[in-house]
Amino acid sequence: MSYIEPVDNVKNEKIKEMLAECEKYNIPGDLFLRILAHVPGYAESLYDAMKRSLYSGNVSHKLKELIRIQLAYISGDRYSQSLRSEIAQEEGLTEDDIQSACDDFKKSERFSEEEKWALSFSYFMYREPSKIDSKFYKTGKLFYSEAQIMEMGSFIALHYGLQVFMRTLNLNSIQ
Amino acid sequence: MGLTEEILDDGIENYQKSKNFTKKEKMALLYSELMALNPEKINSDFYKNLKQFFSKEEIVELGAFIGFNIGYHTFFGTLNFYPMFSPDGRLVDQHESRRIYGDSPLSHLKGAIERSKNTD
Repeated sequence: MSYIEPVDNVKNEKIKEMLAECEKYNIPGDLFLRILAHVPGYAESLYDAMKRSLYSGNVSHKLKELIRIQLAYISGDRYSQSLRSEIAQEEGLTEDDIQSACDDFKKSERFSEEEKWALSFSYFMYREPSKIDSKFYKTGKLFYSEAQIMEMGSFIALHYGLQVFMRTLNLNSIQ
Repeated sequence: MGLTEEILDDGIENYQKSKNFTKKEKMALLYSELMALNPEKINSDFYKNLKQFFSKEEIVELGAFIGFNIGYHTFFGTLNFYPMFSPDGRLVDQHESRRIYGDSPLSHLKGAIERSKNTD
């Protein structure tokens, strides 16, 4: 049971549209959107940012979905951990891939060297940020453009930050 | 709005004992400190206490604001860039900015303001 009750009867038309979209996209999930709906301006802008960051850009959606779930394990957000992007699943993402990304990705044969760098980026950002130094970024630039690195970094920042908030609300897993 | 460097420093280092903040403000500062450093301590009792000072709307606003800032400040910290302006409002290059502000986030009262005045 969430420590802040979600808004059941949303009147804001824009947020109603977003809630309808949640059925299609799954993420960020209608429960969190209903909690953000207490502050309609926040709901609109944060939902938009989360959706755009996950579903558009120049970094693969599948990779960002892996990062999103990995971050949810790091932040302790059960709710976000349980959400799944159907689009990523259609692109071939499996539960074994997800488990590996959250666990032993460095040794796993499932991921390319560039994917391992991206997963390290999110892994270290909130566990050991001092490891993300000039050498780390230099390695990243062998695989990704600066624009892609900024896309990933911003994605990680946005999703982790909001997941930490979600974690504190005691949102349960949807499964 | 009256926010000074002294109050900022107090808010970061000493808010729980400080006379500069109301109980309500201290609760909000505690919320942000715990969310960053010990989120497991934000439980149902904590939210009950928070609700004594803030409405649900204010709590959601605070919580999302704090989360968002935790995320981005950590990322920005890894990029190794410095403020574009000195404490006295001059546009400075990254080399000069690093000289003024130092390698780690610190109170402006602990040297940055003085170093900003010394442009030699």
